[in-house]
Amino acid sequence: MAISNYIVKVFLFLALLTVSINGMAEAKSADDVKLIVSLDRDTIGFDEQAMLQILVEGSTQNLPNPKIPTFAAFEVYSQGRSSNISIVNGKVSSSVTYRYMLMPHKKGTFLIDNIAIVHNNSRFKGNPVKLTVLNTGTSVSPQLQDQVSEHGDHGKDYFLEAVVDNKNPYVNEQVTLTLKFYTAIRYYGNAELSEPTTTGFWNELLGNKAPYKQRINNRTYKVIERKYAVFPTQTGPLTIGRATIHIKVPTRNAQKRDPFGMFDNFFNTGKKVAVRSKPIRLNVRSLPDKGRPDDFTGSIGDFKISASVDKRQVEVNQPVTLTLRITGTGNIKAAAEPVIPELDDFRIDRASSSENISKVNDRISGTKVYEELFIPKHPGTLVIPSISYNYFVPSEDSYREISTKPIKIRVTKPEGYVTSSDIPYANSNLFIGSEAKDIRYIKDDLGETSHTGELVFTTPAYLIVNGLSVLMLAGMILVRRRREKLASDISYARSRYASKAAKKRLVRARSLSSPDKAGDFFSEVHLALISYIADKLNISPHGLTTDYLGDLLAKHSADEELIGDIVSVLQRCDFGKFAPTSITQEEIDELLLKAEQIMIRLASVHFA
Amino acid sequence: MRNSLIIIVITVLLTSVVVSAASDMDSLFALGNKAYEDKDYKTAIAEYLTILDKDVESASLYYNLGNAYFESGDLGRAVLYFRRAQRLAPADEDLVHNLEFVREFSRIQMEGVQLNPINRFIESLLKSYRLDTLAWIASIVFVSLCLLLIGRFGLGYNNSVLRVTTIVVLIVLLGVSGLTTYKYRNDYLTRWGVVVSSDSRILSGPNESAELEFEGAPGLVVEILSETSEYFNVLFENKRRGWIKKSYLSEI
Repeated sequence: MAISNYIVKVFLFLALLTVSINGMAEAKSADDVKLIVSLDRDTIGFDEQAMLQILVEGSTQNLPNPKIPTFAAFEVYSQGRSSNISIVNGKVSSSVTYRYMLMPHKKGTFLIDNIAIVHNNSRFKGNPVKLTVLNTGTSVSPQLQDQVSEHGDHGKDYFLEAVVDNKNPYVNEQVTLTLKFYTAIRYYGNAELSEPTTTGFWNELLGNKAPYKQRINNRTYKVIERKYAVFPTQTGPLTIGRATIHIKVPTRNAQKRDPFGMFDNFFNTGKKVAVRSKPIRLNVRSLPDKGRPDDFTGSIGDFKISASVDKRQVEVNQPVTLTLRITGTGNIKAAAEPVIPELDDFRIDRASSSENISKVNDRISGTKVYEELFIPKHPGTLVIPSISYNYFVPSEDSYREISTKPIKIRVTKPEGYVTSSDIPYANSNLFIGSEAKDIRYIKDDLGETSHTGELVFTTPAYLIVNGLSVLMLAGMILVRRRREKLASDISYARSRYASKAAKKRLVRARSLSSPDKAGDFFSEVHLALISYIADKLNISPHGLTTDYLGDLLAKHSADEELIGDIVSVLQRCDFGKFAPTSITQEEIDELLLKAEQIMIRLASVHFA
Repeated sequence: MRNSLIIIVITVLLTSVVVSAASDMDSLFALGNKAYEDKDYKTAIAEYLTILDKDVESASLYYNLGNAYFESGDLGRAVLYFRRAQRLAPADEDLVHNLEFVREFSRIQMEGVQLNPINRFIESLLKSYRLDTLAWIASIVFVSLCLLLIGRFGLGYNNSVLRVTTIVVLIVLLGVSGLTTYKYRNDYLTRWGVVVSSDSRILSGPNESAELEFEGAPGLVVEILSETSEYFNVLFENKRRGWIKKSYLSEI
């Protein structure tokens, strides 16, 4: 019997192999793309998941990705892909399998359709599949049905158990969830675990425990444990969903050993079953109001806080890094930041925060580090005050407050000025009034006064001193230049002094204006006029005749009347010099007057 | 003779007017000081301001006003008058001390930006000198130069000592004139102001709807850059700009 079974198996195997090779050959011959959609089961419970599998096949290496439409009834999570490419006789064929986990939102029967790919401008649509989500949490897929019915609770070959250490936790308190997978038989391949749904929790995997053996009802089970730390994030009833393990177990016949058992594993691919845990309902309590600090931050666990600075002496506006370290057990990720009050002495900037989580003895613990930049606003010995931190201790049902120690920092004023990044620092340690004892006393004397806003540049004294200097300099330079010109330019000098010399001669003539000195008088008047004109014209007075003089004056635009008067006076002088006895006093006075008038009129003649 | 008599009479009258005005100022100043001693700072301020109203100023007057305002709790005006006094007597130790002292009480303080080395050197050089002093030093050097030039170009002296001395004095004159100009520009051409109101908001624009840049505080010294009918555009010591209502600020 066993031999006949074995022969049948070998035959079937060979037949399958042949069929599949033929199938592949046919697939290769068809130069198109196929899209095959399938579900691992067509019915699931509300808190379970289904695996959607999309197989894309084609005679090309570059198979496109399928487009998954949005499903209102499911959340879709990609579970990866596997691909297979073969090249036979230069022909390429490839297949890619995409896996998606579907988590239902609703109950009912849903059509999964419209999964498609686009290749070479053609659209290839996959076959529709149906998935039914039942109200109950258990699927009854016949092909994946586990063996509960046959063995009763502890008579099963395998079962999955989920337990928590606390079904009545406070919000944000750690609950340790343990999944225990018991198997009394061998299974093929690896067990595939679908994690339990933990909506309403923040969870962190604690890890797997090394497998151990346990006897239950006279059966020895291999137990694999997997633990999670789950932290409820809301109050009220919350459910940790089912976890599912998919395994392949031997068929019932195969479990019975035969002499050719060595072939069992080879030929018997087994039956795929899903092993599920029961959902766990928790009642999450809110934190007690009694003793709750006003500034409670929501942290739960058991913590310590410490503070340190990177330097104890800095200059104004130079930052000091304050490192606040919160260490302890509890949801360290959710541990709130310590509240730092506004400080008059410092400007505070957030630098960074980091966390380090460790899992010891199935508890989440770790350190959260906040770095704050404290920028001193003014010099002096400044204090970073004690920073308090509160949290709730679930084991004691009470709140606790811890705090750092104050830290003194010496702040120095930089040399000169410093570049200031921001405004102003406050210095409110001083108050006007009573403490103002160091102000120096008022002045008794009004002192030197001036008009409001008067500038020294506009005062008379300043203007006079500076103005006089300029005038003196200008005057002296002019005098010097004139002197130099007089010394170097005889014509100019003679012209410049002609009037002065003529006037002197006329004065002298006046002193000689009497009939007894008539000869000298006439000579002097004659010389005064001749010399004046000769000096003005820079010519020698000697040998100047009256007629020549008249011509010269006419050349220099002197009017004819003036020329006539000059000629007349000069002729009279010539006459008088040679016949002085016949001259009366009146004639002398008249001539002198006339000569003086001529001198005045000559001043308007331009000799240049 | 008659003209001489009139001149003498006018001179005597003018002198007596000036002398009586001076004694009037002194007595007002003394009254202010008396009130200050009696801790009646309000009266002291009133007496001092009466002198200012007569278009008379002095470093001591501004100094005492600064003290009186400080003692009465008006930090902004204390800084304002100390700064005004500083223009007239920058080297006065009491003034330097009191100004530094009262600024410590300011709710808000600022660090200025770092000056370049040249400006820092000039500032240190001019710190103790008032504009009048510098102007007179420049004037003396200028007169000296004029005399040297008179000797050279007016009297015709021309020797190497005179030439070198002239060049040296000319260089000195350029230096002193430059410093005087710097001081004049800094003290008088640049418009400075002091925040005197305790409610002084520095805005991003010259209107009420502009964003608040930061809250000012009495005693902050600012440079006035421009103005509208209601606002000054001001530059703070740390080079931040903003707009402040004119009523919040007093010009130094």
